Amino acid sequence: MNELLQRKPGLRAWLLLAPSFLWLLIFFIIPLGIIVVYSFLERDLYGGVVWKWTLENYRRVFDPLYFKTFLYSLWIAFLTAFFSLLFGYPLAYYIATRPEKTRNALVLALMIPFWTNFLVRTYAWLTLLRTNTGLINVWLQEWGIIDHPLPLFGNTFAITLGLVYGWMPDMILPIYAALEQLDRSLLEAAEDLYASGWQVFRRVIWPLSLPGVIAGTMLVFIPSLGAFVTPAILGGGKRLMIGNVITNQFLGAHDWPFGSALSVLMMAVMLLATLIYFRTGGEEARRGGLG
Amino acid sequence: MSATPTTSTPSAGQHRLRHVLGQWLFHLYGFAGYAFFYLPILILVIFSFNDSRSVSKWAGFTLRWYEAMLQDRQIMLALWNSVFVAVVSTAIATVLGTLAAMALERYRRFPGRLIADITLYLPIIIPDIAMAIMLLAFFNLSGIGLHIWKVHFFGVRLAVPISVIIGHVAFNISFVAVVVQARLAQMDRTLEEAAQDLYASPWRTFWRVTLPLMMPGVLGGALLAFTLSLDDFVITFFTSGAGFNTLPVRVFGMIRKGVTPKINAVSSLMLGFSLLLVTLALLAARGREERKVGFF
Amino acid sequence: MPDASSAAVELRDVVKRFGDVVAVDHVSLRIAPGEFFALLGPSGSGKTTTLRMIGGFELPTEGEVLIEGEPQGYKPPYQRPVNTVFQNYALFPHMTVAQNIAFGLEMRGVPKEEIRRRVSEMLDLVRLSGYERRRPHQLSGGEQQRVALARALINRPKVLLLDEPLGALDLKLRKAMQLELKAIQEQVGITFIYVTHDQEEAITMANRIAVMNKGKVLQVGTPQEVYEQPQTFFVADFIGDTNFLPVQVMQVTAPVEVMTESGTRLTASWAEPTLRTGVKAVMAVRPERMHLYRPGSGPEGPEWNRVEGIIRQVIYKGLDIRYEVFVAGECSLHVRMPVGRSEGTFQRGEHVIVAWPRAAARVFRSES
Repeated sequence: MNELLQRKPGLRAWLLLAPSFLWLLIFFIIPLGIIVVYSFLERDLYGGVVWKWTLENYRRVFDPLYFKTFLYSLWIAFLTAFFSLLFGYPLAYYIATRPEKTRNALVLALMIPFWTNFLVRTYAWLTLLRTNTGLINVWLQEWGIIDHPLPLFGNTFAITLGLVYGWMPDMILPIYAALEQLDRSLLEAAEDLYASGWQVFRRVIWPLSLPGVIAGTMLVFIPSLGAFVTPAILGGGKRLMIGNVITNQFLGAHDWPFGSALSVLMMAVMLLATLIYFRTGGEEARRGGLG
Repeated sequence: MSATPTTSTPSAGQHRLRHVLGQWLFHLYGFAGYAFFYLPILILVIFSFNDSRSVSKWAGFTLRWYEAMLQDRQIMLALWNSVFVAVVSTAIATVLGTLAAMALERYRRFPGRLIADITLYLPIIIPDIAMAIMLLAFFNLSGIGLHIWKVHFFGVRLAVPISVIIGHVAFNISFVAVVVQARLAQMDRTLEEAAQDLYASPWRTFWRVTLPLMMPGVLGGALLAFTLSLDDFVITFFTSGAGFNTLPVRVFGMIRKGVTPKINAVSSLMLGFSLLLVTLALLAARGREERKVGFF
Repeated sequence: MPDASSAAVELRDVVKRFGDVVAVDHVSLRIAPGEFFALLGPSGSGKTTTLRMIGGFELPTEGEVLIEGEPQGYKPPYQRPVNTVFQNYALFPHMTVAQNIAFGLEMRGVPKEEIRRRVSEMLDLVRLSGYERRRPHQLSGGEQQRVALARALINRPKVLLLDEPLGALDLKLRKAMQLELKAIQEQVGITFIYVTHDQEEAITMANRIAVMNKGKVLQVGTPQEVYEQPQTFFVADFIGDTNFLPVQVMQVTAPVEVMTESGTRLTASWAEPTLRTGVKAVMAVRPERMHLYRPGSGPEGPEWNRVEGIIRQVIYKGLDIRYEVFVAGECSLHVRMPVGRSEGTFQRGEHVIVAWPRAAARVFRSES
């Protein structure tokens, strides 16, 4: 046995891998396969599946009723990634240009909300945004700034804000990692030449931080597309995303085959996004993102 | 003295002014950014002490929501469930993930490497909602995991569906593996060769050299797994079946029924947990830094 | 194999392939007990892989490694009676100096009391008494090197493997450590196999040297043999400085005769056996074996080679003077002459005779 292991390092690798691989094979890969198979089956009346092959579920995905939700989810994910980048990039730049000690403290300060419960963070916004009793509307009315409550809740704005709040650290950290590797003197030079700062940014800093931008965009876009908690809480039951529809199919409507088809499509979009990401030299970006 | 060119002074001053103003605006932006992250959480905590049912109008200080929380048996049970699931799933995921990380870092090329990589990294990319329904369908079809684990945990009687623990381990293995692998990548492999050269069997090499040196990574991975497990709502929600609550599942249920400062109190408790874990992670990371300095 | 047991380490026709790359190509070696044996070669020559196969860190694709006559087969490193000093020392950063040195004995279950005694003996040997409780990162490079040596030697291995152990030290420290290592080896009497790319280091320390290139052992011999009687162009080129004159072979049996491109006939003591009459080759002569004379003087006769040239450059080096001599139609020759010879020094531009004895000249197949 020892001799065999000594001769075949691949065997040793697989011995170490076996427990986690088997766990993920049984509890991840096989379930994934089940969903794919389900998506081609018919539902029965009691929430189960009938073993008859059909493409009906995929046809229904393109039914305007559902396809609209799908496009809406893509739109939300896009908005989330866009605003995370718009507001996150300057913040990453701000952190990267601080002295080292401040920099580390700022990165840590970014990690803390990142480590706190997503549900709690979403709930915090619920108490702020609700139409009649939300803190923002209550205060603005008390101070006489507005007469009527602003439409802050149960709409695209609320969902996007909740997602940006939840995922923006995932955008900032890889961009920061890319910016931090830039030559310090380069950044100082850019600051010094404030008049032509925009040029320096566009020609030097932005291209060099692009791997971080791409990684960050991926890290925000994918979970936003699959969001379930944020629209459930901040959408006020009015605006649904694909994650809510899938949930309804599994827990409410008991149409598992259709829910499976929606999930497969969602994962396909994510896979496509990931492939594009790797195609655009994402390997570097990924390293920056994880580091 | 009088020969100083008069034209340069105002333009230099202007330039300086613009520079100072720019810096000042930049600081303001940074401050606003962090306010954006912290203010909602801060307000949430403040209103957990509000002496009224409202979470937007201040009516004086009270601890009664915390009392209500502590007396709510469902919340307390959910808390113990959360901790139990996190402890068990972290323990399993840390061992499994660490072994996997060692295989991937140690044996760079071996038959089936690509399959191993995909299987290990896919759970990180796939959103939790997809993983949740996959597990739901699997448990429903196979009947595996429907068993309820009845256990005394710090004197509390818990009834935990195995399916929840299985699900938590499944999404945590990958995160542990990534963190430990990053640590192992920094490690000097000749140290293990040196141990073997000095008559240590692979087993003793692991305990005496490899494990102590990768311990910061293992701790970091375990803390991440523990946090993710405590925070998870979606996968627990789908895999637990009716009647089993972890803290996030309970909070979600409460939010659906309406907003009260009691939820703020529970949320603050969860925030406290997270802060504690971040502090621990920080200490582990500092240990790592010292090791690093120590080695080079 | 009656005398197999007399070799500390023996490699029999060992081959190591990594995928398509042949790192070690049919290497056979016998290393005697108590020898200080150097594996010398440029990077990528297979010397470190050879060492790692003896240590058990790599397994031969073909062939056999024997230690004290015993085939090692698939034995892992921890079952082999050898110890290694690694290039970067590989000291355990989470252990003290004493814990590092004690590690091997501890793994073999030696009683605590004996470990303590032997650790302090070892610290004496490498002159690090009082450093027991320090951590590796608190030591200088030279001190770390000595801890690594002590950690290996304490196990009293049959063979000590050293992989460029002085590579990370600066020149002055390296010179001092060379002498110290040599002294320690003589004191403990353990066989040392020493991998280095530094020919001077190998010549200074080793009893015997194996010169390797591209996975093959080109020559094995004492430092003197390897330096004075190189068997291939590569060895002549890699070890020490050498002048190479392009020539054509006229006669391959002794006395070897060749002709330069301008038609001067020269003789040599030895020619590579594969050379045939009429082929192009190179004559190799060490700079210190060449002498300069003023025209019309100097030794003559069949035992001597003479060519005419012009001094192009003079470099004073303290102990000797180095001349670069341009030989018309041929090449530049480097000549090294001790200071204070009767001829006095030569000036730039001066016409000279370069002369060297037949015994100093060898003829090789040219490699380019």
